[in-house]
Amino acid sequence: MSDETLPQPSETPEAPAGPYVYDYAASPQRQVVMPKTVPLPSLRTYEAEVKAAAAADEAKWQKMLADFETAKAKAEAEGKEAPKPPVRPVPRKDDNDLKTPWPQEAKDDDLHRLQERLGGKVEEIFEQAGELTCQVSKEAILEALQLCRQDIALNYEMLADQTATHYPAATGFAFSVVYHLTSISRRKRLRLRILVPEGFSPESACAVYPSANWMEREIYDMLGIRFANHPDMTRILCPEDWEGHPLRKDYPVVGWGQRDIAFREDRGGMLERIALQKAGQLGINLKQPKAE
Amino acid sequence: MFKNEEMEINLGPQHPSTHGVLRVKLRLDGETITHCRPMIGYLHRGVEKICENQTFFQGQVWTDRMDYCSAVANNLGWAEANEKLFGITVPRRAQYIRTMLNEFNRLASHLIWLATHALDIGAMTVFLYAFREREDILDMNEAFCGSRLTTTAFRIGGLREDLPPGFEKLVKKFLAKFPSCLEEYENLLNENRIWKKRTIGVAKLSAEDAIALGITGPVLRAAGVPYDIRKAFPYAAYAEMNFDVPTRTEADTYARYLVRMDEMRQSARIIQQCMDGMPEGPVMAKLPKILKAEVNEVYHATEAPKGEIGYYLVGEKGSGNPYRFHVRAPGFINLQALPKMAEGGLIADIVAAIGTLDIVLGEIDR
Repeated sequence: MSDETLPQPSETPEAPAGPYVYDYAASPQRQVVMPKTVPLPSLRTYEAEVKAAAAADEAKWQKMLADFETAKAKAEAEGKEAPKPPVRPVPRKDDNDLKTPWPQEAKDDDLHRLQERLGGKVEEIFEQAGELTCQVSKEAILEALQLCRQDIALNYEMLADQTATHYPAATGFAFSVVYHLTSISRRKRLRLRILVPEGFSPESACAVYPSANWMEREIYDMLGIRFANHPDMTRILCPEDWEGHPLRKDYPVVGWGQRDIAFREDRGGMLERIALQKAGQLGINLKQPKAE
Repeated sequence: MFKNEEMEINLGPQHPSTHGVLRVKLRLDGETITHCRPMIGYLHRGVEKICENQTFFQGQVWTDRMDYCSAVANNLGWAEANEKLFGITVPRRAQYIRTMLNEFNRLASHLIWLATHALDIGAMTVFLYAFREREDILDMNEAFCGSRLTTTAFRIGGLREDLPPGFEKLVKKFLAKFPSCLEEYENLLNENRIWKKRTIGVAKLSAEDAIALGITGPVLRAAGVPYDIRKAFPYAAYAEMNFDVPTRTEADTYARYLVRMDEMRQSARIIQQCMDGMPEGPVMAKLPKILKAEVNEVYHATEAPKGEIGYYLVGEKGSGNPYRFHVRAPGFINLQALPKMAEGGLIADIVAAIGTLDIVLGEIDR
């Protein structure tokens, strides 16, 4: 089929005047549901939650008792039969093999040694699902990494993994950055964690663990956290001129440009052509890289 | 007459020896590489983002498509990370079947590595032999779960189905002939003069550099570090298995070849033990239809054929989707060592360096 036989688009889309801002309302598949909770595992919040749940349970039981007393008094006054006394509800037991690993007190020596050496820079230590977690203040991360690498009692030789998570609903911080360290000689794993607000540049781990190089570049690419004193803080997976950071929670799953097409309806490829034309006019992904 | 100039060339992204769409920017002084910079991302699909917007169960099909040569190993890491997150104990029979399939997958992955690596360096024959045995393993995958490459073999909590009838016969047949096949490959390569010239002393990486760069898998073991997650942090049924961790000290391409060949022997040993000691019983834990997470984070690492594959999951209270799904891909981290291995060497040897790292761009770019 030649180009002339294809139907031409009825109207040419016009390029908007200002910078390109996507109308989320016009495209329901690009709407983002922002998380409302902050799922940051922590022994302190877990204990507070357990306490609050127990208090709520107790309050409910007291209310049931009080209701029973009033109902009893009312029945007595009216000369009717007294109501049955209430039974305290027992939490329902699920018939399955799930045993959720809750956060527990830190028992491991490594965590206590870290706390002893770093003092007030350690914000929290706990264990969960057999994994050790140590949360340090965001300014002290390089010191903590150096201690883990060089201390003979700790001796974590390898930085196995480093990644970050976006918490838009949190107050006081926006990201958590986690470092998974492995000690090959002692067969141990440790997780270091820092909480980082928007715009803060944590110190790069490359000076202590050279393997952090690409992982930090990936974190910058995907979540937009820039690391200070990194040898090469550029994007790694996306092109240099890509806009936005895809793993943030406010980034839509469906991408820009020609992917905004209902392919099932687009038998002749006409919609795709229009979208490509539109993308060209808007200059999507054709811009020069911006200096940041 | 002779200019002392450096030349910059691109290897890839469409180059047959880069195993996909890897682009390496090289600066050459004559034939010597003075600067090497790998550039990745041509196959980026946003697996992590997609998995965060799907339920815990649905993430598995994406793990198949990361490292498509070792899909079962990716599935195993994914399943165990989820089980750690929810606190599920998997029945023992399921553990054994998982271990066995994982070792078969290691064989398949190493065979495809051997085939393509030899092909890159110039030994065509091994390719044909290795693919013959790999075909048998893919047939077994098909018998077990219906698909050959992207297996989606496991479920959270165990397996969907038990082994099909007649599977044992396939395994026995394979194990009976596999040692002689390994000998066949070794006869073709071990004393091959061209192979030895292209591999001995090429792309060296010392143990200190390897640990500093986070290298895992056969590349680390060929530098003399006996770090194998199956031994160091046992998972599945590996604690009950009797096997060795082969190591070498030469830390060059030839040593990595020998380590992988020895690993294949050990895999065959593990499969034999799984078949002999296969326990009876159920293959699936008792789970609710919908899994709802609690606030929890786990990092679970397993030994994939290429190195340590780790899954980092964060659960949100009452949500059926992972809040954060991150994969520590072994190829991604291992590829960081390419400049160290290639710089100072000849341009022809970078093909050997890429091959010996055993990269799959699907998992590097995710």
